[in-house]
Amino acid sequence: MRNQVFGYHGRLLDINLSTGKYSSTTIPSDDTEKFLGGRGLGMKILWDRLRQPGINPLSPQNPLMFMPGPYSGFPIPAASRTCVVTKSPCTSPVHSDYPYASTVSYSNIGGFFGPEIRFAGYDGIVITGKASSPVYIVIEDEKVEIRDAKKFWGMGTDLFDRQFIEELGDRRFQTCCIGPAGENLVSYACIIHTASRAAGRGVGCVMGSKNLKAITLKGSKMPNVADHKRFLSLLEDSRKGIKEVLHSPGFSLLNYFIIKGTASYLSWSSENDQMTVNNFRDTTFPDIGKIGLEAVQKDIWFRESACYCCPVACKKGGAVKKGVYAGVVHDAPEYETGTMFGANLRVSDIEGITKVIFEGDDYGMDIISAGNVIGFLMEAYEKEYIDKAFLDGIDLRWGDVNAARKMVAKIGKREGIGDLAGKGVKAISKKIGRNSDKFAIQVKGLELAAWNVYKNIGMGISYATSNRGACHQNGENVEVQNFRAMLDSLGICRFITYHSNSDVPGSGKNGLGSLLSAITGIEWTTEKLTEAGERIFNLEKLFNYREGFRREDDTLPERFFTEPVKSGPLKGKMLKKEEFDKLLDEYYQVRGWNPKTSEPGKPRLQKLGLLPT
Amino acid sequence: MMETENHRNEKQDKPTSPSRRDFIWKMAVGGGAAILFGKVGDKLLLASENTKQTREYLMVHVDYSKCTGCRTCESVCSSFNHRQVVNRESLLGLGNPFYSNIRVHSYNPDLDIPAVCALCPDAPCIRSCPVELDLKTGRKALYRDEKTGTLRNDPNRCIGCGSCQEACKIQRTDVIVLGPDHKPERICTLCDGDPQCVKYCPFNALSFAKVVPEREFYGLHPDIISKKLINRWYNTRE
Repeated sequence: MRNQVFGYHGRLLDINLSTGKYSSTTIPSDDTEKFLGGRGLGMKILWDRLRQPGINPLSPQNPLMFMPGPYSGFPIPAASRTCVVTKSPCTSPVHSDYPYASTVSYSNIGGFFGPEIRFAGYDGIVITGKASSPVYIVIEDEKVEIRDAKKFWGMGTDLFDRQFIEELGDRRFQTCCIGPAGENLVSYACIIHTASRAAGRGVGCVMGSKNLKAITLKGSKMPNVADHKRFLSLLEDSRKGIKEVLHSPGFSLLNYFIIKGTASYLSWSSENDQMTVNNFRDTTFPDIGKIGLEAVQKDIWFRESACYCCPVACKKGGAVKKGVYAGVVHDAPEYETGTMFGANLRVSDIEGITKVIFEGDDYGMDIISAGNVIGFLMEAYEKEYIDKAFLDGIDLRWGDVNAARKMVAKIGKREGIGDLAGKGVKAISKKIGRNSDKFAIQVKGLELAAWNVYKNIGMGISYATSNRGACHQNGENVEVQNFRAMLDSLGICRFITYHSNSDVPGSGKNGLGSLLSAITGIEWTTEKLTEAGERIFNLEKLFNYREGFRREDDTLPERFFTEPVKSGPLKGKMLKKEEFDKLLDEYYQVRGWNPKTSEPGKPRLQKLGLLPT
Repeated sequence: MMETENHRNEKQDKPTSPSRRDFIWKMAVGGGAAILFGKVGDKLLLASENTKQTREYLMVHVDYSKCTGCRTCESVCSSFNHRQVVNRESLLGLGNPFYSNIRVHSYNPDLDIPAVCALCPDAPCIRSCPVELDLKTGRKALYRDEKTGTLRNDPNRCIGCGSCQEACKIQRTDVIVLGPDHKPERICTLCDGDPQCVKYCPFNALSFAKVVPEREFYGLHPDIISKKLINRWYNTRE
């Protein structure tokens, strides 16, 4: 009898778009025990399949992986996430022997896609190769079909979302797709699910390079659990525990902020000098009242949407009801989109922001990167590094939402200036030259997000040490980073863990293991889980190190060390390079990495089981 | 309705081909919908009778303004009604929504319409069932459980013609799914009087209350409800 692995199907769906062939591949149980699933298992597969550094991320060889975790598919509150893992098309090191050197990319997306992968009978989908013309993939349990997508090529994600489901004739399908940005290989293109949920940070570009418009699936299966009764009882506790947190008068980030959507951070961030404004030169936005939570609530949103089995519903949708943009129907601005297309560009027109967010999502581009790129171009234009002709005649002034919209369209189509702008700030500043890299706000080639660092050096460490380039979700220290790498590998949403009832199964800090133990039949303690997180983080680092990423790449844009904040309560303040370097030294020490090179040390790798035996 | 009847006469023994069914469906939602639903607006026009007794039954009602589309209802329904035998003990299942009797239809713009059996007083599903009445029980293959008002199928008598599924799809909420043997499945059981979907809905969007055929959107197909609500809430033409 086959040795049964509980909590997993134990197989991947492997699709090669060059040959049109697919197969089901067995996942070694050792891999799931060490790397869980999601981001971790995706990293392990990437490591196994890309055996050499310097492989072009846009080559057919680069696998694009959709990876749910061992929680996914079970009705655990907010176990809705899936990770898209691939080699990044956005990043590059300062020095490397390989022209196509880049980091790993992992991008976490909510909704229903991850659970449905598990319903279809897989623990992940691995796509390699490149189709000779645009295609989409339909998966229904064992049945896999690759179909012609020519008629959908060029279509925005919103229209696609509406038309594709009609084509399929069944609303039970769950779909991930790319928009024109992905098709046109904008380096920071997204993968979009349900027309508004996005896996950002470049994974859509890899999907575009494979000529893959969409992947859609549904299924009738479910992995077995090891201890059925224990699982049911913990599941009940999990639901009750979260209900208590959500209805408790006590404070938690979950019941205070997240439940109102991340737009609730807009005002808080500006009031606490942590916001990305004016291409990162400022930390507060004078017009925050016009784009903050109250404005969003009043003017835009009126619908709440939840991901699979989530009792929170942080996604707030709505429509523009008045003015020139009346009729725009989309997600209301949330923290990242509202800041990057709002405060960062000094745009205070909430209706215009909603419009440009819609357009960014419709083209399928990462709004963090797009807002950062446009902010950079606005600053370069202000400082006359570039002129109107360089921008194809766009008068790209601060606060002008229409100018921003024109840029978004140029980028999405890779037309004129959009061809260069679609490659990210690192590439643009290289082209512009004249030390414009000082205000190109990126790490390793990936753009920083809506949390500024002047007041929060911890966020600086998060950006600098993230394995996918500047990432605000990475975590400000080793412990947090390991914990989050583990969460991304379980398939649970990080937001649901934002409370302090630590024993709640499935979301409390000490409640994650019990549920996983019941599912897998392997006893998972909190320590063992965070060790898995550490292992995952280290394998990512090993991958990056092999590509040529060193300590010199783990840094912040020069602006934060040399240019004081322009205005507001933080005026005149900047980060101290020595302080940052000291924190980084400590960071490497805790990691067990060489402080000079950032190379992971053998003793730690040995302990984590990452050395060949 | 005419089409359903005709169709049944044509192909009594054979399951309908998907393309044929789709055609009928498109007719109903498109042009045909005007006939079926046009004059009554958001209210359903019942075919008959029998409403008095049905009013005493309880069903699952949806407040669409509260539903977030999380599909917790689907999962707990599946767990309860699609149980799993573990060590000879019947336990709640693991909740794949595929087996759920309540199903959330999601639309763009964001709108989620859980569809569940409306316990229709005129039960087009039963009316369309071609199996003859059993003289002892007075039942066709598909029949109403007199106690709860829920619909049940006798698999021994069911010929798997799919008429009930089609009738529900074209005339009502489209909740009946045909199983692998082409016999109707996924019809609300009300979970022994304690509907799990109502109990576990994190957003209080569901309630367990008396059947009220006059209620807005009662018994309508999710596609029709969505068109009306998208128009109402998003003020766009769909």
